[in-house]
Parts: sequence; structure tokens; C-alpha cells
Amino acid sequence: MMKVVIVGCGRVGAQLATMLAAENYDVTILDINPHSLSKLVPTFQGTALLGDGTDEDSLRKAGIEGAEAFIALTGEDNHNIMAAQIAKHIFKIPRVICRIYDSQRGEIYQDLGLETVSPTITFVQSFKDKLQQG
Amino acid sequence: MYVIIVGSGRLSRSLAKALLDEEHEVLIIDKDEAKVSAIEEELGSIYLLGDGCEVDVLEEAGTDRADVFIAVTGHDEDNLVACQVAKHKFNVPRTIAQVTDTKNEHLFKMLEVDVTVTSFDIILEHIKREIPIHPLTRLAFFPDTEVEVVELKIPSDAASVNKRIDELSLPSESCVSLIVRSGEDAKIMPSSDFTLQAEDKLVIIARGTQSDLEKNLCDTFTTPEK
Amino acid sequence: MKPTSRILVPVCGNSADREAVEMACRLAKGNKSEIHLLYVIQVKRSLPLDARMEPETQKGETVLYAAESIAEELGQEVKTDLVQAREVGPAIIEEARERGVELTVMGVNYKRRFGEFDLGEVVPYVLKNAHCRIFLVRQPFPVK
Repeated sequence: MMKVVIVGCGRVGAQLATMLAAENYDVTILDINPHSLSKLVPTFQGTALLGDGTDEDSLRKAGIEGAEAFIALTGEDNHNIMAAQIAKHIFKIPRVICRIYDSQRGEIYQDLGLETVSPTITFVQSFKDKLQQG
Repeated sequence: MYVIIVGSGRLSRSLAKALLDEEHEVLIIDKDEAKVSAIEEELGSIYLLGDGCEVDVLEEAGTDRADVFIAVTGHDEDNLVACQVAKHKFNVPRTIAQVTDTKNEHLFKMLEVDVTVTSFDIILEHIKREIPIHPLTRLAFFPDTEVEVVELKIPSDAASVNKRIDELSLPSESCVSLIVRSGEDAKIMPSSDFTLQAEDKLVIIARGTQSDLEKNLCDTFTTPEK
Repeated sequence: MKPTSRILVPVCGNSADREAVEMACRLAKGNKSEIHLLYVIQVKRSLPLDARMEPETQKGETVLYAAESIAEELGQEVKTDLVQAREVGPAIIEEARERGVELTVMGVNYKRRFGEFDLGEVVPYVLKNAHCRIFLVRQPFPVK
């Protein structure tokens, strides 16, 4: 089973974790806020842990050593960037995906070897497509 | 020099003032309007209101002609990102980041932040200098050259007591540059046949990897006699 | 009001310059004051403060020359200054302090920004921070 660690249990993080777990991924999701974790649906089949995604000890507890993928989805760009770089450079996780709202900042980190997703660009495109499909 | 400082706490205000006194050009970037107006009152219009991690803000700041870029926001992740953007987007030759959590220091180094400064380390070194927790105190370390200056105190039970300096196995590139003995004049660059006594304080300059070097020096000077 | 012996008129090349210069000349006549015209070139941070700013310097000289001519028509001699600074407001304050002026006269266009009346950054800054007396000459509404 492919092990995935997700940092940040907001709407996107929680839903992604639930979907991946339902598809038989071994999912661990981390958040610093217990309230966020409590939003996971009761049927969530993965592991939810209280912890900071930029803290190596928390990541070890989440079983990052041996994970094949790491996804940073907290609400803060810089927090995601730091967590992703820890996963990539310290724990050598093969796939690291990082949400960065600021598209210019996203480009820089793409050049530095992170896989980045900019919701700003994605949303603008999808609104524009919707409007123009009319 | 043109120095950009991101973050406008008391630390960056004092730093800016010192740099301005030395006639350097200084710009402080902060997104907090109240903090920025405190700078204006104290130091004049040497600020830019904005997020020091954003490309547009750094472009307006003229980051591409900065000689030094310093991030002291109080948040490790913001300091890291600001320095990385400055380095990789604007080719700033020297980036310096304040690190609050010492555990992050090796990550910053790995990600090519040129210098990291941890207040924790500085405070600890100061306290250690006052309290003999450890016989060896690091006075200075120059990472680029791997040269270190340390202060050592010879414990009374050490094997090195009553030995001449040339009888001891010092690390290959090192020299005892100062010996302070209570009640006597300090000896600058003592000769190699100088005999050590208990409670002597030595200042040693040496080259090597930090941890190896310190262990090596402790073995030589402070290990108790068998 | 006490007689003013030194008046500063910052100019920037818009239509309000003329009225500001004229008003300063009228105030000066009575008191035989000195008038200083000032043009500030704002230097972006991407350039050193003493960078050569060719088109801007030329524009500044043209604006100062035009303002000087207005004063001459009214028989008033003026001194002119062209300075480079990071921010216009602080530069005006600095100049006013250095020259020991007792009055600064500034012309203001009637401008809207995002649909609202807008004074810009410079005028409020000078009003807030200048040690001397300030006269503002606001132009009437633009003719539609």
C-alpha cells in the first residue's frame, strides 16, 4: 500500500485524505489544530495526528520515513514550502507536492525542484472556462 | 553596501541604525503598517510596506542590487522563504536568516541560506562563558574557513597539567595563542616549551570540522590523568 | 500673519503649478521674500539614489524653467532646486527645514482615484510633518 503523508487538514486536505484512504492508500494527515482534524468524516480510514508539518519529530511520528508521497496543504504558503522542503531534502520523499497560492513564489519553487500547485491559477482558469463555455 | 532587512522588530531597528551610522544604504521591509511607521519616526523613510517574501515587493525594493539580505521576522518559515526568493530570484550574494527553532538550522544551511543566526545559541554561549558547564567555550567560528577560536580551562586533574605544550598532541593546524594564569601577566603566543598548570586559561586557534575539533581539544587538554 | 521671508514651492509639472507659483509671488511681493522652487525626482529602489536619471532630470529642468518663467512675468526672482530622493514628501520636508522656509505653497489638482476624491500621498505627508505653515491651492473642478 502506498504511504502518503498530508499536512494541513482544511477542506482540501480532509477531502483528499478521505478519498485516498478509500482508494486503499495508507494515509496519515497532520494538523496543529485539533478542531481541524475533528472535521474528518467518521468513515476516514487513515491516521489523523496532531502535529506541526515543519517539525521533524512530528513528521517522524507520522511515519514520514518510508512514505512515498508528501502533500503540503496548510493555509500558509511559507509553511507549505518549508514542510515540503523538509520532506524532500531531509526525508528524501520521492514525490513532494506543495500548494502555493502566490503563483510567482510557486514558480521559484518549481524551479527549485518542488512540484507546486497554485490554486489561484487553477481557479482563474476554471472560472474563465466556465464563463466562456457560457 | 545596500542592505535589505525583512522584519521590523527592535533587532532590525538597531541593526538598521548601526548600518546607517556606517553610511550604508538600508531598507526595512515589513507588512505591518504600525511597525513601519515606528521606523519612520525613528530612522526616516527607509522602509517599504509589504510582504518580504513576495517577488513584486522585492523587485520594488531593488533586491537585485542588494549586497546583503537579512530576514529577521521572528517566523522561521518566513525567514527561510524570504532568503530563498532573494537568493534564487534576485541573486543576492549574501543571505542571513534568524532561526528561532535551533532544529531548523541544518535545513536552512542545506537550502543555501548563507548565514543562520540563532539567539538561543548566542545566549547559551554567553551563559556558558560565565558558568563552567564545560571546560571549552567557543569564542568564534568562521564556517567558510572552518577556523575556530576557543577558550579552555585546564582542570586540576587533567593529564596535561605540568606538561609542556610540545609534549601534547594538538590538532594538526592549531596554536595556543594566549595563556592566562591568575596572578601573572598573560602570555601572548607562549613558546612551545611552556609548561601548563592547573586552572590555566588557554585561547586556541584551530582549523577543522567543529565537532571533531572540540572533541580533539578536550581530549588533549582536559582529559583526567589515568 | 508674520511676514514670511522664505517661501518654498514644490512643483511637479501639472496644471496646478502655475497657481501655486502665482500665489507665492503675490505673497512674496509684500514681504520681499525669497522664493525657492523645488522639483523632486523620485528614484526607484532598484537604482542607487545618485543614479543618473536622464529623462527625469530633463523633465525636472523643464518644469522648473516653466515655473521660473511664471515668476519672472510677475517680476519675482526665484531660486530653483532639483533633488533626487526615494520619497517626495520627506524630500520636501527636508528641503523646507534646510532652507529655513516659513511657508510652503503647494498646488493640488482635483483628482479622483477609485471613484473617490484623492489627495495623493505627498500632500497629506507634508501637512502632517512640515514644521512650517502650508498653503494649498486646490484647482477648481475640471470643466466637463
